[in-house]
Amino acid sequence: MKRILLLLPMIFAFLSFTSSTRMQVRAGEKLVYAGSYNMSGLMTQLAQVTMSTENVSTAKNNYLHLSCELSTYSKWDKFFKIRDIYESYVHPTTLKPSLYKRSIDEGGYTKKEKYVFKNNKVTSTVKKRTYPESSRTFNIKPTSIDAVSILYQLRLVDFSKMQAGQTKSYTIVFDEKEVPVTLKYMGKEEIKAGNLGTKECYKISIGAKTDALRGKDKNLIWLTADAKKIPALIKFSIPVGTGQLTLTSASGI
Amino acid sequence: MRKLLLVLTIVFTVLAILFSALPMDTLAFLPIGVAIALSLVTLLKSEGNQKKFPKILLTISVICSVFVLGKTIFIKDEVEVDKTFEQQKIETKQEAKKELEELENDLE
Repeated sequence: MKRILLLLPMIFAFLSFTSSTRMQVRAGEKLVYAGSYNMSGLMTQLAQVTMSTENVSTAKNNYLHLSCELSTYSKWDKFFKIRDIYESYVHPTTLKPSLYKRSIDEGGYTKKEKYVFKNNKVTSTVKKRTYPESSRTFNIKPTSIDAVSILYQLRLVDFSKMQAGQTKSYTIVFDEKEVPVTLKYMGKEEIKAGNLGTKECYKISIGAKTDALRGKDKNLIWLTADAKKIPALIKFSIPVGTGQLTLTSASGI
Repeated sequence: MRKLLLVLTIVFTVLAILFSALPMDTLAFLPIGVAIALSLVTLLKSEGNQKKFPKILLTISVICSVFVLGKTIFIKDEVEVDKTFEQQKIETKQEAKKELEELENDLE
């Protein structure tokens, strides 16, 4: 289960598109999802995933803080408690990341990561359980982004101009390496989107050159086909099974 | 044959009770379903006063299914307010602000 839930936020990592800055991601947005995993053919709700945005200012700059939290429901806490935070500090308009942080606590397994984006280089700092902290600097492509900001960048894409089957290739930085990602626009479908009701959505398939995701067109995301492009449903297929994130509430959009 | 069925019924009834007590959600219906099916088959293979024990096992499985169905319908999934986690988020944000300022200084 640890592996499954570790991979839940990672699903976000495989979402990338070039962006047009027509729509701007606002501060104060909060999206809540119910995370379920397919256990022996039955979808079982395990955790709540909350994605939120807020403004953060330093003496010299303003940033948009993108946060993705994963917490197991209280009924699971006694058996396997998970408290994960994935966050990114990005430029408010371009969404280019400056700092990416990941802090996970999954049934006692802890890991902290920090990626500092400096021009075309990333300095990563990783601390696993009781192991000593390790640090390294590696080169990245100018367009490479982090695991959280990618999901928000995806929402800036104008899908209305795309045709079903059209693909795009991108790169994300995750687990101290660059991961190539291919996305395919698959058309429109109607999806239940929590308090937003049933919405027409853009369906996008995610493919990545990694063992973490399995199957062709089995890792999917549905974004509402409106100006906000809220992720309404995310389905994933990994080596140990399948699962999904269902939007339960959206506020501040 | 009946003895084998009875042993299997007991095993799955115990699993049904365990899964019902644990937060397994609808997953508990798997052992419950098997336990009910086995109880019915055992009941059919039993004669006279042999039917009493399979009936008890069947009743237990049915009660388990009602209990799990009730939990699924009436108990809402909630995340507990975790003060340690909330504090960690505040500290992480403060650290991030310092790290961003360091980055800004490096880039100058």
